[in-house]
Amino acid sequence: MLIFSVFKTLTDQTVTVELKNDLSITGVLKSVDQFLNIRLDSIKVLDEARHPHMMAVKNCFIRGSVVRYVQLPAAAVDTQLLEDATRREAANQTKK
Amino acid sequence: MDDDSPPPPPASPPPPPSGPSGAPGSPTDFLKGVVGKKVVVRLTSGVDYRGILSCLDGYMNIALEQTEEHVNGRVTNRYGDAFIRGNNVLYISAAEPL
Amino acid sequence: MDGVSQGIQEPFDLVRLSLNERVFVKLRGDRQLTGVLHAYDGHMNLILSDVEETIMIVEPLDGASDVPSTVKVAKRNMEMLFVRGDGVILVSPPSRT
Repeated sequence: MLIFSVFKTLTDQTVTVELKNDLSITGVLKSVDQFLNIRLDSIKVLDEARHPHMMAVKNCFIRGSVVRYVQLPAAAVDTQLLEDATRREAANQTKK
Repeated sequence: MDDDSPPPPPASPPPPPSGPSGAPGSPTDFLKGVVGKKVVVRLTSGVDYRGILSCLDGYMNIALEQTEEHVNGRVTNRYGDAFIRGNNVLYISAAEPL
Repeated sequence: MDGVSQGIQEPFDLVRLSLNERVFVKLRGDRQLTGVLHAYDGHMNLILSDVEETIMIVEPLDGASDVPSTVKVAKRNMEMLFVRGDGVILVSPPSRT
């Protein structure tokens, strides 16, 4: 749930999603769900020459399970807040 | 490529390492017995980790101390502490008498 | 057991104690990362900053090579990175020794 919340705070930010098939897509994060499925707008594929079939695609839905990484805008992430939230969630998990 | 990554574990907290009973000779009994002992953890990739088993949970997530990574019989890395994600574990073997 | 294991009841404690520390992460696909850990969850999804990724690429042996397989290493850096947990094999905190 914690990571889901983080992604929600990053909506309308530009992120780069790297898939497990090595395709990297940069775009504006429009929405995310609990499975970390991701909707991106105004997308641009890195290395378009290798992925010509993606050239006409302007927006996309990415299934969470095929994601390897998401590069986030560092300025939009409060690391102290993240650590506190992570400790809080960890404490809740062990209590249950 | 990263062919078949297994589905992520359920979002609930990891259950405790042992079931309610832990009858003598059961897997649970074995796992209780090897905590704090030297073990070999083999991953499905064939890589071995030798170290002292600090603890483990119901997903077979493992914490090891003084860990050596062995690939093809050679030491390829050392870690003071290591967390191993349970889905990668093939087996845990005792490396000293129990 | 020695001092390092004090206060570790479950494996995730090891990861929790590494928050705001530089960790080493071994991933599927011959990749490894080092970065400062800021968040994780029960799937081992991670958020790291100041990340260096190292990719080991085993070159397919072409006719000219006398060594059976040469390993090429590619590195890159990323400021802030989410890592999906299903690719994680191992996480190691900075060694305290």
